[in-house]
Amino acid sequence: MKKLMNYLMLSCKKAATLIDKKAEVKLSWRENMQLTMHKSMCDACTAYEKQSKFIDKALYHHIHTMTEDVNTIIENKELQTKIISKV
Amino acid sequence: MENVKGTANANATIKSWVELHSNQLYTWAYYKTSDKEAAEDLVQETFLAAYHSFQKFEGKSEPKTWLLSILKNKIADHFRKAYRNNANNTVSFSQFFDSNENWLTDQIPQQWKEDDEQHLLDNYDFNKILMQCLEKLPANWKASIVLKFIEEKNSNEICQELEIAPTNYWQMLHRAKLQLRKCIELNWFEK
Repeated sequence: MKKLMNYLMLSCKKAATLIDKKAEVKLSWRENMQLTMHKSMCDACTAYEKQSKFIDKALYHHIHTMTEDVNTIIENKELQTKIISKV
Repeated sequence: MENVKGTANANATIKSWVELHSNQLYTWAYYKTSDKEAAEDLVQETFLAAYHSFQKFEGKSEPKTWLLSILKNKIADHFRKAYRNNANNTVSFSQFFDSNENWLTDQIPQQWKEDDEQHLLDNYDFNKILMQCLEKLPANWKASIVLKFIEEKNSNEICQELEIAPTNYWQMLHRAKLQLRKCIELNWFEK
């Protein structure tokens, strides 16, 4: 039993690592198993997974937001003049 | 004669585009790079590139869309360079976990009060905080994150592009996210 527990138990540090690894590459069967076990007992890591996914979504959204959505357009007259003088 | 006319035409068109779109492009570049000089250079390069490949623009898309797509590539180049120039930055895990690999007390993820996720994604102030938090990351981490989302490539392609082992890549993203998470929690959810 103890052996089995050791096989399945993960520290929070390792669990958090697997959560972000999972977003990039496929986990092994064992890693998946360990992570599921850990999350079922650990609120902190469950919250971490949810937040990590949210951060991904927010970053994607942030990076793909087009100019129209930027509230204030920054005027840069100098740049305009500089570019016009070059073409 | 035809060529001279063509060049004059390109000149006039590009100039009108500069007047119409440069502020928006600059704002966008600044929003992505948080760097005034870099943003100015990128916008300038964008218009010069547009000028040189003006013949390829066939009016199939809106000029602004075409300019934005050029700018997007320039921004990706900018972050590829930033990644290469700062490839050796590392931060240890000891600021997040104790010696038993448990979360440090002040690092334990708290429940976030998200009333409405979509609302938050479109919230200007939240995006400002997100941008500030992104800014605090080591330059190479930030670069690898921005590239991932801006280019919409899978990890393998980005690893090849940056010449980095997949394990190093996701570990870097992991550390970046640990730090971003804490920063967002402190500056947004706990305020």
